[in-house]
Amino acid sequence: MTAAVEANGVGKRYGSLVALEDLSFTAEQGEILGVLGPNGAGKTTAIRILTTILEPTHGTFTVAGVPHTRPAEIRRRTGVLPESAGYPERQTAEEYLRYHARLFGQSRESARTTAAALLDQVGLGDRTKSLIGTHSRGMRQRLGIARALVNHPQVVVLDEPTLGLDPAGQQQMLAIIRRLTAESGATVLLCTHLLAEVEETCTRVLILSRGRVVAQGTIAEVARRAAAPRTATIRIAAEDGERAEAALSPLKVEAAGATLRVFLDGADSNEPLRLLVAARIDVHAYELEAARLSDAFLAMTEAP
Amino acid sequence: MRGAGIVLTQELRDLWLDGRALALSLAFSLLLSVIAYLVASNRALNFLEQRETVNLTLQVAVAIGALLALLTAADAVSGERERRTLESLLLTPVSRLALVTGKLLGALSLWLAAFAITVAYVWFLGRGVGIAGDALASGIVVGTLLAVFLTSFGILLSIFSPSNRVSLSLSLFLLLALFAPTQLPSGATSGWAGDLLLRVNPLTAGEHYIGRIVVNGRAWNEDLVWLASPAAAAAVFAALALAIGAHYVRLGGGGSE
Repeated sequence: MTAAVEANGVGKRYGSLVALEDLSFTAEQGEILGVLGPNGAGKTTAIRILTTILEPTHGTFTVAGVPHTRPAEIRRRTGVLPESAGYPERQTAEEYLRYHARLFGQSRESARTTAAALLDQVGLGDRTKSLIGTHSRGMRQRLGIARALVNHPQVVVLDEPTLGLDPAGQQQMLAIIRRLTAESGATVLLCTHLLAEVEETCTRVLILSRGRVVAQGTIAEVARRAAAPRTATIRIAAEDGERAEAALSPLKVEAAGATLRVFLDGADSNEPLRLLVAARIDVHAYELEAARLSDAFLAMTEAP
Repeated sequence: MRGAGIVLTQELRDLWLDGRALALSLAFSLLLSVIAYLVASNRALNFLEQRETVNLTLQVAVAIGALLALLTAADAVSGERERRTLESLLLTPVSRLALVTGKLLGALSLWLAAFAITVAYVWFLGRGVGIAGDALASGIVVGTLLAVFLTSFGILLSIFSPSNRVSLSLSLFLLLALFAPTQLPSGATSGWAGDLLLRVNPLTAGEHYIGRIVVNGRAWNEDLVWLASPAAAAAVFAALALAIGAHYVRLGGGGSE
Protein backbone atom coordinates (compact mmCIF):
# COMPACT_ATOMS: atom_id res chain seq x y z
CA MET A 1 0.00 0.00 0.00
CA THR A 2 1.34 3.47 -0.91
CA ALA A 3 1.99 5.71 2.09
CA ALA A 4 -0.23 8.78 2.21
CA VAL A 5 2.74 10.95 3.13
CA GLU A 6 6.37 9.96 2.92
CA ALA A 7 9.26 12.32 3.65
CA ASN A 8 12.92 11.44 3.17
CA GLY A 9 15.57 13.73 4.60
CA VAL A 10 13.56 16.88 3.99
CA GLY A 11 15.29 20.03 5.21
CA LYS A 12 15.01 23.78 5.00
CA ARG A 13 17.77 26.31 5.56
CA TYR A 14 17.68 30.09 5.47
CA GLY A 15 21.33 30.93 4.96
CA SER A 16 23.07 29.52 7.99
CA LEU A 17 19.83 29.11 9.92
CA VAL A 18 18.54 25.55 9.93
CA ALA A 19 14.75 25.57 10.19
CA LEU A 20 14.30 21.87 9.51
CA GLU A 21 16.85 19.08 9.27
CA ASP A 22 16.38 15.61 7.82
CA LEU A 23 12.65 15.17 8.32
CA SER A 24 11.89 11.55 7.54
CA PHE A 25 8.62 9.85 8.33
CA THR A 26 5.72 7.96 6.84
CA ALA A 27 2.01 8.44 7.42
CA GLU A 28 -0.26 5.61 6.38
CA GLN A 29 -3.60 6.01 4.72
CA GLY A 30 -6.44 6.79 7.13
CA GLU A 31 -4.30 7.46 10.18
CA ILE A 32 -4.21 10.60 12.31
CA LEU A 33 -0.58 11.52 12.90
CA GLY A 34 0.14 14.06 15.63
CA VAL A 35 3.01 16.43 14.87
CA LEU A 36 4.38 17.78 18.12
CA GLY A 37 7.15 20.10 19.14
CA PRO A 38 7.86 23.19 21.19
CA ASN A 39 7.83 26.66 19.63
CA GLY A 40 10.52 26.94 16.95
CA ALA A 41 10.80 23.17 16.57
CA GLY A 42 10.11 23.39 12.84
CA LYS A 43 6.51 22.15 12.82
CA THR A 44 5.08 24.94 10.71
CA THR A 45 8.07 24.84 8.35
CA ALA A 46 7.54 21.10 7.93
CA ILE A 47 3.83 21.61 7.28
CA ARG A 48 4.49 24.39 4.78
CA ILE A 49 6.99 22.26 2.90
CA LEU A 50 4.66 19.28 2.77
CA THR A 51 1.82 21.49 1.54
CA THR A 52 4.12 23.03 -1.14
CA ILE A 53 4.01 26.57 0.24
CA LEU A 54 7.77 26.37 0.82
CA GLU A 55 10.36 24.53 -1.24
CA PRO A 56 12.69 22.21 0.64
CA THR A 57 16.41 22.97 0.51
CA HIS A 58 17.07 19.26 0.36
CA GLY A 59 15.28 15.94 0.56
CA THR A 60 12.25 14.49 -1.19
CA PHE A 61 8.66 13.75 -0.26
CA THR A 62 5.46 12.40 -1.70
CA VAL A 63 1.91 13.26 -0.74
CA ALA A 64 -0.87 10.90 -1.85
CA GLY A 65 1.73 9.24 -4.06
CA VAL A 66 2.59 12.49 -5.87
CA PRO A 67 6.26 13.54 -5.76
CA HIS A 68 7.17 17.01 -4.46
CA THR A 69 8.28 18.05 -7.94
CA ARG A 70 4.58 18.33 -8.90
CA PRO A 71 3.28 20.84 -6.35
CA ALA A 72 0.01 21.68 -8.13
CA GLU A 73 -0.91 17.97 -8.13
CA ILE A 74 -0.12 17.73 -4.43
CA ARG A 75 -2.31 20.76 -3.72
CA ARG A 76 -5.15 19.12 -5.63
CA ARG A 77 -5.04 16.17 -3.22
CA THR A 78 -4.35 18.03 0.00
CA GLY A 79 -6.58 20.03 2.33
CA VAL A 80 -4.93 22.44 4.74
CA LEU A 81 -6.01 24.51 7.70
CA PRO A 82 -3.07 26.88 8.18
CA GLU A 83 -2.12 28.19 11.60
CA SER A 84 -3.91 31.50 12.33
CA ALA A 85 -5.56 31.54 8.93
CA GLY A 86 -7.31 34.76 7.96
CA TYR A 87 -10.76 34.96 6.44
CA PRO A 88 -12.33 37.61 4.19
CA GLU A 89 -14.60 39.47 6.57
CA ARG A 90 -17.00 40.67 3.90
CA GLN A 91 -17.66 37.33 2.25
CA THR A 92 -20.33 34.93 3.42
CA ALA A 93 -19.31 31.45 4.55
CA GLU A 94 -21.04 29.96 1.53
CA GLU A 95 -19.42 32.38 -0.91
CA TYR A 96 -15.99 31.69 0.61
CA LEU A 97 -16.32 27.93 0.23
CA ARG A 98 -17.79 28.23 -3.27
CA TYR A 99 -14.82 30.39 -4.33
CA HIS A 100 -12.32 27.85 -3.06
CA ALA A 101 -14.22 24.93 -4.59
CA ARG A 102 -14.07 26.79 -7.92
CA LEU A 103 -10.32 27.35 -7.47
CA PHE A 104 -10.02 23.58 -7.10
CA GLY A 105 -11.63 23.18 -10.50
CA GLN A 106 -15.26 22.49 -9.59
CA SER A 107 -18.11 23.74 -11.75
CA ARG A 108 -20.44 26.44 -10.38
CA GLU A 109 -23.14 23.90 -9.56
CA SER A 110 -20.74 21.42 -7.98
CA ALA A 111 -19.12 24.19 -5.92
CA ARG A 112 -22.53 25.26 -4.63
CA THR A 113 -23.41 21.69 -3.63
CA THR A 114 -20.02 21.10 -2.00
CA ALA A 115 -20.22 24.34 -0.01
CA ALA A 116 -23.72 23.56 1.29
CA ALA A 117 -22.79 20.00 2.27
CA LEU A 118 -19.59 21.01 4.07
CA LEU A 119 -21.25 23.84 5.97
CA ASP A 120 -23.83 21.34 7.21
CA GLN A 121 -21.10 18.89 8.21
CA VAL A 122 -19.22 21.42 10.33
CA GLY A 123 -22.39 22.74 11.93
CA LEU A 124 -22.59 26.03 10.06
CA GLY A 125 -25.59 25.13 7.95
CA ASP A 126 -27.64 27.88 9.57
CA ARG A 127 -24.95 30.56 8.94
CA THR A 128 -24.39 30.13 5.23
CA LYS A 129 -25.48 33.66 4.35
CA SER A 130 -23.92 35.52 7.26
CA LEU A 131 -20.73 37.50 6.73
CA ILE A 132 -17.58 35.83 8.05
CA GLY A 133 -16.83 39.06 9.90
CA THR A 134 -19.73 38.24 12.23
CA HIS A 135 -18.45 34.72 13.00
CA SER A 136 -16.85 33.74 16.31
CA ARG A 137 -13.35 32.27 16.49
CA GLY A 138 -14.76 28.76 16.79
CA MET A 139 -17.04 29.24 13.81
CA ARG A 140 -14.13 30.51 11.72
CA GLN A 141 -12.05 27.47 12.66
CA ARG A 142 -14.92 25.22 11.63
CA LEU A 143 -15.18 27.14 8.37
CA GLY A 144 -11.42 26.62 7.94
CA ILE A 145 -11.91 22.87 8.36
CA ALA A 146 -14.68 22.97 5.77
CA ARG A 147 -12.38 24.86 3.41
CA ALA A 148 -9.67 22.25 3.94
CA LEU A 149 -12.12 19.57 2.83
CA VAL A 150 -13.53 21.42 -0.16
CA ASN A 151 -11.50 19.35 -2.64
CA HIS A 152 -12.24 15.98 -0.99
CA PRO A 153 -8.56 15.61 -0.07
CA GLN A 154 -6.67 12.39 0.50
CA VAL A 155 -4.43 14.12 3.03
CA VAL A 156 -5.62 16.78 5.49
CA VAL A 157 -3.13 18.98 7.33
CA LEU A 158 -4.40 20.85 10.35
CA ASP A 159 -2.03 23.34 11.98
CA GLU A 160 -3.22 24.20 15.49
CA PRO A 161 -6.93 23.71 14.73
CA THR A 162 -7.97 24.35 18.33
CA LEU A 163 -5.82 27.43 18.88
CA GLY A 164 -7.73 30.10 20.77
CA LEU A 165 -10.78 27.92 21.40
CA ASP A 166 -12.30 27.35 24.83
CA PRO A 167 -12.36 23.74 26.16
CA ALA A 168 -15.86 23.12 24.81
CA GLY A 169 -14.79 24.51 21.43
CA GLN A 170 -11.69 22.32 21.45
CA GLN A 171 -13.74 19.19 22.13
CA GLN A 172 -16.20 20.14 19.42
CA MET A 173 -13.37 20.70 16.94
CA LEU A 174 -11.72 17.37 17.77
CA ALA A 175 -15.03 15.59 17.39
CA ILE A 176 -15.48 17.17 13.95
CA ILE A 177 -11.96 16.14 12.92
CA ARG A 178 -12.49 12.55 14.07
CA ARG A 179 -15.88 12.28 12.42
CA LEU A 180 -14.86 13.83 9.13
CA THR A 181 -11.70 11.77 8.82
CA ALA A 182 -13.58 8.58 9.68
CA GLU A 183 -16.15 9.37 7.01
CA SER A 184 -13.67 10.38 4.31
CA GLY A 185 -10.86 7.94 5.13
CA ALA A 186 -8.34 10.75 4.69
CA THR A 187 -4.96 10.82 6.40
CA VAL A 188 -4.64 13.65 8.90
CA LEU A 189 -1.50 15.42 10.06
CA LEU A 190 -2.52 17.20 13.25
CA CYS A 191 -0.04 19.79 14.36
CA THR A 192 -0.66 20.98 17.92
CA HIS A 193 0.74 22.08 21.25
CA LEU A 194 -1.94 20.29 23.22
CA LEU A 195 -0.70 16.84 24.22
CA ALA A 196 -4.02 15.75 25.63
CA GLU A 197 -5.49 16.47 22.21
CA VAL A 198 -2.95 14.16 20.62
CA GLU A 199 -3.42 11.38 23.15
CA GLU A 200 -7.14 11.56 22.57
CA THR A 201 -7.12 11.80 18.79
CA CYS A 202 -3.95 10.50 17.18
CA THR A 203 -2.92 6.99 16.27
CA ARG A 204 0.78 7.90 16.06
CA VAL A 205 2.97 10.89 16.88
CA LEU A 206 6.00 12.62 15.43
CA ILE A 207 8.00 14.81 17.82
CA LEU A 208 10.20 17.57 16.46
CA SER A 209 12.80 19.52 18.39
CA ARG A 210 15.14 22.16 17.00
CA GLY A 211 14.30 21.22 13.43
CA ARG A 212 14.91 17.48 13.89
CA VAL A 213 12.68 14.46 14.41
CA VAL A 214 13.43 13.20 17.92
CA ALA A 215 10.77 10.49 18.12
CA GLN A 216 8.01 8.87 16.14
CA GLY A 217 5.68 5.93 16.67
CA THR A 218 2.60 5.12 18.70
CA ILE A 219 2.15 7.08 21.90
CA ALA A 220 3.15 4.06 24.01
CA GLU A 221 6.25 3.45 21.91
CA VAL A 222 7.35 7.07 22.09
CA ALA A 223 6.81 7.25 25.83
CA ARG A 224 8.76 4.04 26.36
CA ARG A 225 11.59 5.11 24.07
CA ALA A 226 11.91 8.41 25.85
CA ALA A 227 12.46 6.52 29.12
CA ALA A 228 10.11 8.98 30.68
CA PRO A 229 10.18 8.71 34.47
CA ARG A 230 7.42 6.52 35.88
CA THR A 231 5.81 6.92 39.27
CA ALA A 232 4.01 4.67 41.74
CA THR A 233 1.29 5.81 44.12
CA ILE A 234 1.17 3.85 47.41
CA ARG A 235 -1.49 4.02 50.08
CA ILE A 236 -0.58 2.96 53.65
CA ALA A 237 -1.90 3.47 57.17
CA ALA A 238 -1.46 7.08 58.29
CA GLU A 239 0.59 6.08 61.35
CA ASP A 240 3.15 4.27 59.14
CA GLY A 241 3.99 7.44 57.22
CA GLU A 242 7.35 8.29 58.77
CA ARG A 243 8.54 4.67 58.81
CA ALA A 244 7.54 4.24 55.16
CA GLU A 245 9.42 7.35 54.10
CA ALA A 246 12.49 6.06 55.89
CA ALA A 247 12.15 2.63 54.28
CA LEU A 248 11.82 4.18 50.82
CA SER A 249 14.77 6.51 51.33
CA PRO A 250 16.78 5.04 48.41
CA LEU A 251 14.06 6.47 46.13
CA LYS A 252 12.63 9.95 45.73
CA VAL A 253 9.32 10.16 47.63
CA GLU A 254 6.60 12.79 47.96
CA ALA A 255 4.35 12.17 50.97
CA ALA A 256 0.85 13.53 51.48
CA GLY A 257 -0.67 11.92 54.61
CA ALA A 258 -1.28 8.26 53.94
CA THR A 259 -0.44 8.58 50.24
CA LEU A 260 3.10 8.34 48.94
CA ARG A 261 4.22 9.14 45.41
CA VAL A 262 7.42 7.33 44.55
CA PHE A 263 9.53 8.28 41.52
CA LEU A 264 10.95 5.06 40.11
CA ASP A 265 13.62 6.82 38.09
CA GLY A 266 14.82 3.63 36.38
CA ALA A 267 14.28 1.39 39.41
CA ASP A 268 12.34 -1.86 39.13
CA SER A 269 8.61 -1.29 39.56
CA ASN A 270 8.52 -3.81 42.46
CA GLU A 271 11.33 -2.08 44.37
CA PRO A 272 9.05 0.15 46.55
CA LEU A 273 6.94 -2.88 47.50
CA ARG A 274 10.05 -4.89 48.41
CA LEU A 275 11.33 -2.07 50.63
CA LEU A 276 7.98 -1.66 52.41
CA VAL A 277 7.52 -5.40 52.99
CA ALA A 278 11.08 -5.62 54.36
CA ALA A 279 10.16 -2.83 56.81
CA ARG A 280 6.95 -4.74 57.76
CA ILE A 281 4.64 -1.97 56.60
CA ASP A 282 1.16 -2.89 55.32
CA VAL A 283 0.41 -1.68 51.80
CA HIS A 284 -3.28 -0.86 51.23
CA ALA A 285 -2.97 0.05 47.57
CA TYR A 286 -0.26 0.18 44.94
CA GLU A 287 -0.79 1.90 41.60
CA LEU A 288 1.81 2.09 38.89
CA GLU A 289 1.45 4.99 36.47
CA ALA A 290 2.46 4.40 32.89
CA ALA A 291 4.82 6.86 31.29
CA ARG A 292 2.82 9.71 29.77
CA LEU A 293 3.22 11.44 26.46
CA SER A 294 3.76 14.73 28.24
CA ASP A 295 6.70 13.26 30.18
CA ALA A 296 8.18 11.85 26.98
CA PHE A 297 7.64 15.16 25.21
CA LEU A 298 9.43 17.09 27.94
CA ALA A 299 12.24 14.56 28.15
CA MET A 300 12.83 14.73 24.42
CA THR A 301 12.47 18.43 23.82
CA GLU A 302 14.03 19.99 26.90
CA ALA A 303 17.16 22.04 26.34
CA PRO A 304 20.33 20.05 27.20
CA MET B 1 -6.49 30.59 -17.81
CA ARG B 2 -9.72 29.39 -16.22
CA GLY B 3 -8.17 30.04 -12.81
CA ALA B 4 -7.54 33.69 -13.73
CA GLY B 5 -11.20 34.03 -14.68
CA ILE B 6 -12.34 32.65 -11.32
CA VAL B 7 -9.96 34.96 -9.43
CA LEU B 8 -11.08 37.93 -11.55
CA THR B 9 -14.76 37.20 -10.90
CA GLN B 10 -14.15 37.09 -7.15
CA GLU B 11 -11.99 40.22 -7.28
CA LEU B 12 -14.72 42.13 -9.09
CA ARG B 13 -17.27 40.91 -6.57
CA ASP B 14 -15.06 41.89 -3.62
CA LEU B 15 -14.17 45.28 -5.13
CA TRP B 16 -17.58 46.31 -6.37
CA LEU B 17 -20.01 44.62 -4.02
CA ASP B 18 -18.24 45.31 -0.74
CA GLY B 19 -18.25 49.02 -1.59
CA ARG B 20 -14.55 49.91 -1.84
CA ALA B 21 -14.56 50.44 -5.60
CA LEU B 22 -17.97 52.10 -5.42
CA ALA B 23 -16.71 54.53 -2.78
CA LEU B 24 -13.61 55.34 -4.85
CA SER B 25 -15.74 55.83 -7.97
CA LEU B 26 -18.08 58.14 -6.08
CA ALA B 27 -15.12 60.18 -4.83
CA PHE B 28 -13.79 60.27 -8.40
CA SER B 29 -17.07 61.58 -9.80
CA LEU B 30 -17.23 64.24 -7.06
CA LEU B 31 -13.71 65.38 -7.91
CA LEU B 32 -14.54 65.44 -11.61
CA SER B 33 -17.66 67.48 -10.86
CA VAL B 34 -15.57 70.08 -9.04
CA ILE B 35 -13.02 70.18 -11.88
CA ALA B 36 -15.78 70.45 -14.48
CA TYR B 37 -17.43 73.27 -12.54
CA LEU B 38 -14.16 75.20 -12.25
CA VAL B 39 -13.18 74.83 -15.91
CA ALA B 40 -16.70 75.69 -17.04
CA SER B 41 -16.62 78.82 -14.86
CA ASN B 42 -13.26 79.82 -16.33
CA ARG B 43 -14.58 79.28 -19.82
CA ALA B 44 -17.57 81.48 -19.06
CA LEU B 45 -15.13 84.20 -17.98
CA ASN B 46 -13.12 83.65 -21.18
CA PHE B 47 -10.04 82.51 -19.27
CA LEU B 48 -10.11 79.12 -21.02
CA GLU B 49 -11.10 78.02 -24.47
CA GLN B 50 -13.66 75.22 -24.73
CA ARG B 51 -11.07 72.79 -26.09
CA GLU B 52 -8.83 73.55 -23.13
CA THR B 53 -11.62 72.85 -20.65
CA VAL B 54 -12.14 69.43 -22.23
CA ASN B 55 -8.40 68.79 -22.29
CA LEU B 56 -7.93 69.74 -18.64
CA THR B 57 -10.86 67.65 -17.46
CA LEU B 58 -9.79 64.64 -19.50
CA GLN B 59 -6.20 64.84 -18.30
CA VAL B 60 -7.29 64.94 -14.66
CA ALA B 61 -9.67 62.04 -15.27
CA VAL B 62 -6.96 59.93 -16.89
CA ALA B 63 -4.44 60.64 -14.13
CA ILE B 64 -6.84 60.05 -11.25
CA GLY B 65 -8.46 57.03 -12.92
CA ALA B 66 -5.06 55.41 -13.34
CA LEU B 67 -4.24 56.30 -9.74
CA LEU B 68 -7.32 54.40 -8.53
CA ALA B 69 -6.19 51.33 -10.45
CA LEU B 70 -2.68 51.71 -9.03
CA LEU B 71 -3.92 51.91 -5.44
CA THR B 72 -6.12 48.86 -5.92
CA ALA B 73 -3.25 46.88 -7.45
CA ALA B 74 -0.88 47.92 -4.68
CA ASP B 75 -3.21 46.19 -2.21
CA ALA B 76 -3.68 43.04 -4.29
CA VAL B 77 -1.03 40.72 -2.86
CA SER B 78 0.28 42.58 0.20
CA GLY B 79 -3.32 43.10 1.34
CA GLU B 80 -4.03 39.36 1.15
CA ARG B 81 -0.78 38.77 2.98
CA GLU B 82 -1.66 41.26 5.71
CA ARG B 83 -5.18 39.85 6.12
CA ARG B 84 -3.62 36.35 6.27
CA THR B 85 -5.77 35.13 3.40
CA LEU B 86 -2.91 34.64 0.95
CA GLU B 87 -1.89 31.22 2.25
CA SER B 88 -5.26 29.66 1.53
CA LEU B 89 -5.05 30.97 -2.05
CA LEU B 90 -1.53 29.60 -2.48
CA LEU B 91 -2.77 26.22 -1.25
CA THR B 92 -5.06 25.84 -4.24
CA PRO B 93 -3.85 24.36 -7.53
CA VAL B 94 -4.41 27.70 -9.28
CA SER B 95 -1.07 28.98 -10.60
CA ARG B 96 0.54 32.16 -9.30
CA LEU B 97 0.31 33.52 -12.84
CA ALA B 98 -3.47 33.04 -12.88
CA LEU B 99 -3.71 34.65 -9.45
CA VAL B 100 -1.74 37.72 -10.52
CA THR B 101 -3.58 37.99 -13.85
CA GLY B 102 -6.97 37.91 -12.14
CA LYS B 103 -5.94 40.53 -9.62
CA LEU B 104 -4.37 42.76 -12.28
CA LEU B 105 -7.51 42.71 -14.42
CA GLY B 106 -9.66 43.31 -11.33
CA ALA B 107 -7.65 46.43 -10.50
CA LEU B 108 -8.00 47.66 -14.10
CA SER B 109 -11.77 47.65 -13.66
CA LEU B 110 -11.35 50.79 -11.52
CA TRP B 111 -9.91 52.63 -14.51
CA LEU B 112 -12.68 51.43 -16.83
CA ALA B 113 -15.30 52.62 -14.35
CA ALA B 114 -13.52 55.97 -14.02
CA PHE B 115 -13.52 56.34 -17.79
CA ALA B 116 -17.21 55.50 -18.00
CA ILE B 117 -17.89 58.32 -15.53
CA THR B 118 -15.64 60.68 -17.51
CA VAL B 119 -17.62 60.17 -20.72
CA ALA B 120 -20.55 62.25 -19.46
CA TYR B 121 -18.34 65.17 -18.35
CA VAL B 122 -16.31 65.27 -21.58
CA TRP B 123 -19.46 65.08 -23.68
CA PHE B 124 -21.03 67.92 -21.67
CA LEU B 125 -17.97 70.20 -21.80
CA GLY B 126 -17.15 69.42 -25.44
CA ARG B 127 -20.63 69.73 -26.92
CA GLY B 128 -20.92 72.09 -29.86
CA VAL B 129 -17.31 71.97 -31.06
CA GLY B 130 -17.26 68.32 -32.15
CA ILE B 131 -14.26 67.22 -30.13
CA ALA B 132 -15.89 64.90 -27.62
CA GLY B 133 -15.42 61.79 -29.79
CA ASP B 134 -11.75 62.41 -30.49
CA ALA B 135 -11.12 63.40 -26.89
CA LEU B 136 -12.73 60.24 -25.54
CA ALA B 137 -10.90 58.03 -28.03
CA SER B 138 -7.53 59.50 -27.07
CA GLY B 139 -8.53 59.34 -23.40
CA ILE B 140 -9.37 55.63 -23.45
CA VAL B 141 -6.16 54.77 -25.32
CA VAL B 142 -3.82 56.85 -23.15
CA GLY B 143 -5.69 56.04 -19.93
CA THR B 144 -5.66 52.31 -20.60
CA LEU B 145 -1.94 52.30 -21.39
CA LEU B 146 -1.20 54.29 -18.23
CA ALA B 147 -3.55 52.14 -16.16
CA VAL B 148 -1.89 48.93 -17.38
CA PHE B 149 1.54 50.42 -16.62
CA LEU B 150 0.60 51.66 -13.15
CA THR B 151 -1.45 48.58 -12.23
CA SER B 152 1.42 46.31 -13.20
CA PHE B 153 3.80 48.46 -11.19
CA GLY B 154 1.40 48.34 -8.24
CA ILE B 155 1.21 44.55 -8.46
CA LEU B 156 5.01 44.33 -8.46
CA LEU B 157 5.20 46.55 -5.39
CA SER B 158 2.53 44.47 -3.72
CA ILE B 159 4.41 41.23 -4.39
CA PHE B 160 7.62 42.49 -2.83
CA SER B 161 6.32 44.78 -0.08
CA PRO B 162 6.47 43.43 3.44
CA SER B 163 3.32 45.38 4.33
CA ASN B 164 0.38 47.06 2.70
CA ARG B 165 1.47 50.42 4.06
CA VAL B 166 4.83 50.21 2.29
CA SER B 167 3.16 49.16 -0.94
CA LEU B 168 0.62 52.01 -0.89
CA SER B 169 3.22 54.61 0.15
CA LEU B 170 5.58 53.64 -2.66
CA SER B 171 2.69 53.74 -5.14
CA LEU B 172 1.78 57.28 -4.16
CA PHE B 173 5.44 58.29 -4.29
CA LEU B 174 5.71 56.92 -7.83
CA LEU B 175 2.66 58.82 -8.96
CA LEU B 176 3.95 62.08 -7.46
CA ALA B 177 7.31 61.52 -9.16
CA LEU B 178 5.59 61.00 -12.51
CA PHE B 179 3.44 64.08 -11.97
CA ALA B 180 6.34 66.31 -10.95
CA PRO B 181 7.41 67.30 -14.52
CA THR B 182 3.90 68.64 -15.22
CA GLN B 183 4.44 71.21 -12.48
CA LEU B 184 7.76 72.49 -13.81
CA PRO B 185 7.78 76.05 -15.26
CA SER B 186 7.44 76.01 -19.04
CA GLY B 187 11.03 77.22 -19.45
CA ALA B 188 12.33 74.08 -17.75
CA THR B 189 10.71 71.82 -20.34
CA SER B 190 11.53 73.81 -23.47
CA GLY B 191 15.11 72.61 -24.11
CA TRP B 192 16.09 69.20 -25.45
CA ALA B 193 16.45 67.83 -21.94
CA GLY B 194 12.98 69.05 -21.01
CA ASP B 195 11.54 67.61 -24.21
CA LEU B 196 13.21 64.27 -23.51
CA LEU B 197 11.82 64.28 -19.98
CA LEU B 198 8.30 64.86 -21.31
CA ARG B 199 8.66 62.09 -23.89
CA VAL B 200 10.23 59.51 -21.55
CA ASN B 201 7.80 60.00 -18.70
CA PRO B 202 4.74 57.88 -19.64
CA LEU B 203 2.33 60.18 -17.81
CA THR B 204 3.51 63.47 -19.34
CA ALA B 205 3.91 61.90 -22.78
CA GLY B 206 0.40 60.45 -22.67
CA GLU B 207 -1.15 63.69 -21.49
CA HIS B 208 0.79 65.61 -24.14
CA TYR B 209 -0.72 63.30 -26.79
CA ILE B 210 -4.22 64.02 -25.49
CA GLY B 211 -3.46 67.75 -25.58
CA ARG B 212 -2.28 67.59 -29.20
CA ILE B 213 -5.53 65.94 -30.27
CA VAL B 214 -7.98 67.89 -28.13
CA VAL B 215 -6.41 71.38 -28.11
CA ASN B 216 -4.43 71.41 -31.36
CA GLY B 217 -6.96 69.38 -33.32
CA ARG B 218 -4.32 67.00 -34.68
CA ALA B 219 -5.30 63.66 -36.23
CA TRP B 220 -4.86 60.56 -34.05
CA ASN B 221 -1.97 59.26 -36.15
CA GLU B 222 0.04 62.47 -36.43
CA ASP B 223 1.67 62.36 -33.00
CA LEU B 224 1.84 58.67 -32.29
CA VAL B 225 5.45 59.05 -31.19
CA TRP B 226 4.09 60.51 -27.94
CA LEU B 227 2.41 57.18 -27.24
CA ALA B 228 5.71 55.29 -27.44
CA SER B 229 6.58 55.82 -23.79
CA PRO B 230 3.16 54.87 -22.31
CA ALA B 231 2.92 51.86 -24.65
CA ALA B 232 6.44 50.68 -23.82
CA ALA B 233 5.87 51.17 -20.09
CA ALA B 234 2.59 49.25 -20.25
CA ALA B 235 4.11 46.36 -22.21
CA VAL B 236 7.30 46.10 -20.15
CA PHE B 237 5.68 46.39 -16.74
CA ALA B 238 2.78 44.07 -17.59
CA ALA B 239 5.26 41.44 -18.79
CA LEU B 240 7.38 41.96 -15.66
CA ALA B 241 4.38 41.74 -13.33
CA LEU B 242 3.19 38.48 -14.91
CA ALA B 243 6.64 36.91 -15.20
CA ILE B 244 7.74 37.87 -11.70
CA GLY B 245 4.32 37.21 -10.19
CA ALA B 246 4.33 33.69 -11.62
CA HIS B 247 7.36 32.86 -9.47
CA TYR B 248 7.57 35.29 -6.58
CA VAL B 249 4.09 35.52 -5.07
CA ARG B 250 5.05 34.11 -1.71
CA LEU B 251 3.82 34.04 1.82
CA GLY B 252 6.57 36.34 3.07
CA GLY B 253 7.05 39.84 1.67
CA GLY B 254 10.18 40.85 -0.23
CA GLY B 255 9.86 37.76 -2.39
CA SER B 256 11.16 35.70 0.53
CA GLU B 257 9.76 32.41 1.68
